[in-house]
Amino acid sequence: MLAPSFRRRRWMASTITLLLFALFVFWAWIEESRLGDATFLTGSTVLVGIVLLILLGVRRRLPVLPLGSVSVWTQIHLYLGFFTTGAYLIHVPVVLGNGWLEGGLSLVFIAVTVSGFYGIYASRRLPKRLTAVEGQHRFDRLGWHRGQIAETARCLLDDLQEPSAHPVLGQFYQDYLNPFFGSSPTLAYVLVPSGVRRRRLLNGLRELNRYLEREGRDTAGRFAALVRRRDDLDYQFALQLRLRLWLVVHSTLSIALLVGGIVHGVIAWRFTS
Amino acid sequence: MLRENETVSLGPGELFGEVAAMYRSPRTATVIAETEATLLEIRWQGLRILRRDKGFADTLEAHYRKHWLPVHLREIPLLRHLPESSLARVVEATQLRSFGRMEWNAGYRRTRELPVEQQIESEPVVASEGRIPTDLIIVRSGFARLSQQYGASHRTTAYLGKGHVFGLEELSCNALSVKANLTRTLRQSLRAVGFLDALFIPAEVFAEEILPHVRRSELPAAAADLMIQSGSDRSRSGDRRRRERNGIRPGDWNDLPSPTGQQFQPTGLLEFIVQKRLNNGRQAMVIDLHRCTRCDDCVKACASVHDGNPRFVRQGFTHERLQFVQACMQCTDPVCMIGCPTGAIARDEETGVVEIYEPICVGCGTCAASCPYENIRMSEVFDSQGRGYRDVQTDKPITKATKCDLCSRQPSGPACASACPHDALVRIDLSESEPLQKWLDRRS
Ligand code: SF4
Repeated sequence: MLAPSFRRRRWMASTITLLLFALFVFWAWIEESRLGDATFLTGSTVLVGIVLLILLGVRRRLPVLPLGSVSVWTQIHLYLGFFTTGAYLIHVPVVLGNGWLEGGLSLVFIAVTVSGFYGIYASRRLPKRLTAVEGQHRFDRLGWHRGQIAETARCLLDDLQEPSAHPVLGQFYQDYLNPFFGSSPTLAYVLVPSGVRRRRLLNGLRELNRYLEREGRDTAGRFAALVRRRDDLDYQFALQLRLRLWLVVHSTLSIALLVGGIVHGVIAWRFTS
Repeated sequence: MLRENETVSLGPGELFGEVAAMYRSPRTATVIAETEATLLEIRWQGLRILRRDKGFADTLEAHYRKHWLPVHLREIPLLRHLPESSLARVVEATQLRSFGRMEWNAGYRRTRELPVEQQIESEPVVASEGRIPTDLIIVRSGFARLSQQYGASHRTTAYLGKGHVFGLEELSCNALSVKANLTRTLRQSLRAVGFLDALFIPAEVFAEEILPHVRRSELPAAAADLMIQSGSDRSRSGDRRRRERNGIRPGDWNDLPSPTGQQFQPTGLLEFIVQKRLNNGRQAMVIDLHRCTRCDDCVKACASVHDGNPRFVRQGFTHERLQFVQACMQCTDPVCMIGCPTGAIARDEETGVVEIYEPICVGCGTCAASCPYENIRMSEVFDSQGRGYRDVQTDKPITKATKCDLCSRQPSGPACASACPHDALVRIDLSESEPLQKWLDRRS
């Protein structure tokens, strides 16, 4: 059978989620209109939703089992996440609960939801940005590539024959290029990658051209190419790290939410029964 | 069972399997001993040496022509409905010709780096654009590139693989419009990519013995129109009924997705695939970089089903948003199998997976060196307690060849594809354009 296109799949899944959510709202409304308490229904739905959402993490760790592809699980996870957020909004009287347990719990829920939405954004946008830069490097090899670039830069300077170029390029290398090639990207760059460093270094190298002859200019051009390569590498590092970190944050918070949710559920159940 | 299949009887001194052995293609026949029989097995290396002898080469060809050529011609959808007398004439007139080097992998690493125009120039020309077609060309094994002159160079328009035909449109038009005295020349050039083995059916034999038995729907549009004009449409209901009675379904032509070549919409992708010879892959690993979050879950999944040692690394040729990962592609022409001294690397007949039987692998590395895509690695072997085996004399670690086995023993299929959370990775047949085209369309 031909798998549906992504657009069609999105449309179908959204419709089903909306329908199920409408049914759920209707059920809660009936419960309320019978003068019953819908909180227990909505609360347990949220808790079951959280448990099911966490199962994706379990599935990812058991790739051998024939339980369907992880991409199908991810799709279910995504739409179940939307559903559970809706169920949560119906469950709580105010978005941010009062009392330390409820307040804390609602904060964690909001954090998980926000990180989940960020995850959708990041997993759709960042891969495109990563693909747009030159070279596809593996995260575990980035350090090695950095070392290679630093080494090549050192060799370039060592191989320079032109006597007049030595002091000019040597000075620039020592003051700017060596610290750049020899260190990891700064936290500021990792958080908000920008082209400022790259532009500054490239402009600096360009300005040196008037002090250089042919070979020196050639070497300066090669340094510029290395600066570009290194900057691309750092950009890859920043984005790949972001893609990895959000997942760690999202899953850690999810576990905390599950534990808190169970505690809250037990307490609520004890007090209502 | 014998009654349902075409059968041929062989006696003392006769050969079988020589075509599969020489051209690294899967066997096309099952051989059953009717009585007690003693067989002599000659490995392909021996066969190649023997073929240097003119007499032996002629005997081989005569044998092939007599026993197997009719069977192979019948497998081609276009010739399926030929009456026996026509088939006999086609067999008699068909020429067998090869182009390029069978060991194409030897020069592949150099040629894949050449600019496209230079690579096209370096390929042996089988038929040239602008010439009058003299033969219908059918690919028996290997690959070919179709190209058209564009500015100062050639632009790839499609690639051909086993069973594809070349020159059908031009030959049919010429045969059908003979009264109008309009001779069509070839619209494209045909070149061997690496190695090509083809059957050549002369134009007059095609016109007299084949074309009258071809249905309009089986012809390219231009030739089909001419067939209507000339009133020689063969797709009459009587014809159809007779064929269906003989157990031939009307849609049988569909078993080759495109009878005249594999065509992708974007020329760049097509040229990239041919340039890197990725069209050899039956189960290539392709990643959509616009969806891949670089999480490496695919690699981890592979490691988890192979005792912690992944059979691939997530790297490989990239073309725009596609990455063709360095994992065994289970090639149509598995050149890695050439030269294995123990026969440890072989294609599984049922699954089509090229597998390495570790117990008889002596770790010589011939397969790893032969794989043009560098998709076989030599890895250390460990005992059940995780201690590496060492050579007693040299104390060097013992290595054996490892490669992707497509998780053929896992019920869930390839772990890499099922572990990808973002639908970014697929195992796909690149010997045809359709699967990749559909996969791309799905995500556009
Ligand atoms: S599992 Fe999918 S998304 Fe993750 S690295 Fe592999 S192909 Fe990319």
